Amino acid sequence: MSKIKSLFDSAKFKSAFIPYFTLGDPNYNDSIEFGKTILDNGADILELGIPFSDPVADGPVIQRAVARSLKNSFSFDEIFRVTKAIHDHKPETPLVYLTYFNPIYHCGITKFLDRAKESGIVGLVIPDLPFDTAESETLFRELKVRDMDLIHLVTPASEKKRIQALAKTSSGFIYYVTSFGVTGERREFSLDLKERIRFLKETIQLPICAGFGISTPDQANQISQYADGIIIGSAIQRIIEENGSDRSKVVSALADYISKIRTSIS
Amino acid sequence: MGKNLPGYFGEFGGRYSPEILTEALEELESTYQKLKKSKKFKKELEYYLRNYVGRPSPLTYAERLTKHWGGARIWLKREDLNHTGAHKINNAIGQALIARFMGKKRIIAETGAGQHGLATATVGAMFGMETVVYMGAVDVQRQNLNAKKIEMLGAKILPVTAGEATLKEATSEAMRDWALNVSTTHYIVGSAIGPHPFPTIVRDLQAVIGKEAKSQFKKENKKLPSAIVACVGGGSNAIGMFHAFLKDKQVAIYGAEAGGLGPKPGEHSATLTYGKTGFLHGTKTLIIQDEFGQIVPAHSVSAGLDYPGVGPEHAFLSQTGRVDYRMVTDEQALDCFLEVSRIEGIIPALETAHAFHVARDVARDLGKKKDLIICLSGRGDKDVTEVLRLLGERSK
Ligand SMILES: Cc1ncc(COP(=O)(O)O)c(C=O)c1O
Repeated sequence: MSKIKSLFDSAKFKSAFIPYFTLGDPNYNDSIEFGKTILDNGADILELGIPFSDPVADGPVIQRAVARSLKNSFSFDEIFRVTKAIHDHKPETPLVYLTYFNPIYHCGITKFLDRAKESGIVGLVIPDLPFDTAESETLFRELKVRDMDLIHLVTPASEKKRIQALAKTSSGFIYYVTSFGVTGERREFSLDLKERIRFLKETIQLPICAGFGISTPDQANQISQYADGIIIGSAIQRIIEENGSDRSKVVSALADYISKIRTSIS
Repeated sequence: MGKNLPGYFGEFGGRYSPEILTEALEELESTYQKLKKSKKFKKELEYYLRNYVGRPSPLTYAERLTKHWGGARIWLKREDLNHTGAHKINNAIGQALIARFMGKKRIIAETGAGQHGLATATVGAMFGMETVVYMGAVDVQRQNLNAKKIEMLGAKILPVTAGEATLKEATSEAMRDWALNVSTTHYIVGSAIGPHPFPTIVRDLQAVIGKEAKSQFKKENKKLPSAIVACVGGGSNAIGMFHAFLKDKQVAIYGAEAGGLGPKPGEHSATLTYGKTGFLHGTKTLIIQDEFGQIVPAHSVSAGLDYPGVGPEHAFLSQTGRVDYRMVTDEQALDCFLEVSRIEGIIPALETAHAFHVARDVARDLGKKKDLIICLSGRGDKDVTEVLRLLGERSK
C-alpha cells in the first residue's frame, strides 16, 4: 500500500494539511530548516517544489520564489540532498514533489524516480502533464512499481467524462484546483466548491484535497468541512519571501502559521 | 489524445498544458473541425483576407537582387504588403473569427516583435472585441513603434517584467491570463506553437502563403521553384510557406533561425540546431535548455525570433530532414537588412533578413536558371530605430 493511502486510511485528522514550498529559496540549506519546521508544526504531507524556469501554472508569489531559487546554481544532487535531509528529520510524513514535466523528462524518468524514492519522495504532482498523454501513462506505470503515487489535478472546468477517465491513472489523492487561474492567495471561493468536491468524491474513490488560493485559517477551516485535505503554497512562500534573508525569523513565522492552520482544520 | 492521433508531428506536438485549459482546447478543436468544413466560414475568411488584408500578396521577381547575388533567380512572396505589415494578420483574422463563432468577446495575445500584437489589436478593433496584449518589457522598448500602435488601436498592453522580459515570458503570462478567463476569452496564439490544436490551426491559417506562392509561380513559369526559404521564430510564416511544397520532393526547403551572437547558450535562438526534446508552453518540441531541463534564455537581434522553443512541426521536419534549417547571426542579418534595402528598395523586417542571408547562399549554390522564393514575412519599419542604434554601436 502506498504511504499516502495508508495515511488517509488511518485518518488521524479530519482534513489533511498539505503545505508547499519551493526548494532552494533563498538557498538549499535554509530549505532544510524550513522543511523541518513545517514538519514539526503539523504538516500531514509536505509538497516540495522543484524549481522550473517557466512555471505557467503558478502566480506571481511562486514565480518569484522559483526565480530566487534558480539564482543558486540548480542541480538534482542538491534537490535530492535537501529532500533526504527533510525526510530523515521525520520519516513518517509523506513527501511529494511538485514540478513541471521538463526537468523530470530531461533527467530521465526512471533515474529521476529511483533517486526521488531514495530521498524519501512518495508521489508526484505535475501541473503540465495531463493524464491523457503517453508520458503520463509511462510515469504512472513506473511510479506504481515503486509504490509511489501520481497525483492529478482536477479543476472546476474538468468535465465528468474526463474525471472518470483520469481516475484510472490517479493514485494517492486528487488535487482539486479550487478556482480558475494560477496559484495565489484569494479572498473568495466559488460558491459551488462544496458541491464540486462532493461530486468528485462520488466519482473518484480517492481523497480529494483542495488547493490554489487558500491562505487564512478561516478559509482552511471552512473548506476542511468537506475536503479531505487543504493544500497551501503561496501563503507559505510569502512568509519565506518576506523574511528570507533572516532564517530564524522565517522559521518562527512558519512555525506560527503552520500550527495555526493545523489547529484550524482539526 | 494518443500518441499517433492528430496533434502530433512524429513524436512532437501534443497537449501539455495545465488541466484548467483542457476544456477550452477541446472546445477550440471541435469548433475548428466544424468550421474547417463550413462554407460560410471559408467565405468569411476569404472575404477579410481579400478586402481587409489585401490578399493575394504579390510574388515579386527581384531583378536587382538576382543580379547582385549572381545565382538563382530570386522571387519574393510579399507578406510585407499585408495590412499591418506582416504575415501575422492572416492568423489573427482567422482566429478572431473562430473566437467570435465560439461567442468569446475578449481576445488576448503574446507578442515579441509586436507584429502579432499589432495584428491582434487590429482585428480586435475591427471586430469590436476587448483586446489585451502581453509583451516583454524589453520588447516594449526595442519595438516601441508597434507598442504605441497597439495602444492606439484601443488594445491594452501589459508589459511583462519576469525573467528576460521577452517573448517567452509574455507567452507564459498570456497562458496564465487564459487560465483565469478561459470562459470569456480566446487566446490568439501568434505562432505555430502551443498545445494542440494551436500549431495545426496556425499552420492552416498561414498555409495561404505557400498556396498562393506556388500557384503564382507556376502560372508565370510553368514549373516549380528549385528552393524556398523562410525565417523561423516560432515558425508560423515558415510553416505557412512550406506547407504547400512539402510533398514536392524536387523543391528544396530551407529555414533560417537566429544564430544571434554565437554558439554559447544564451547567445542565440537556434532551437533546431542546438535544441533538445522537451516540454514548453504546452507542447513537446525542441527547446534550448540546460543539462537539468531548465529553459535557457534566448537571444536574437530580432525580437520576433527571440524564443527558445519552436513549433513542433518544424521539430519534426528537421528530424526527418525534409527541411534544412540554418543559423544566421545577428551581424549577418543586419548586413542583409541593409543590402536588400539598398539593392531592391524593400526594407525587410529583421526577422526576414535572416531568411535573405540563407537565400543568398542557396541562390549561389543553385546557380543561374534556377528559381528561389523567399517568404518576405514582414516589413522593417518597426526595426528602423533599433537598426540605427545597432549601427551606431557598430561604428564605435
Ligand atoms: C516579420 C516577422 N517575421 C517572422 C516572425 C517570426 O514568427 P514566425 O516564426 O511565427 O513566423 C515575426 C514575429 O514577430 C515577424 O514579425
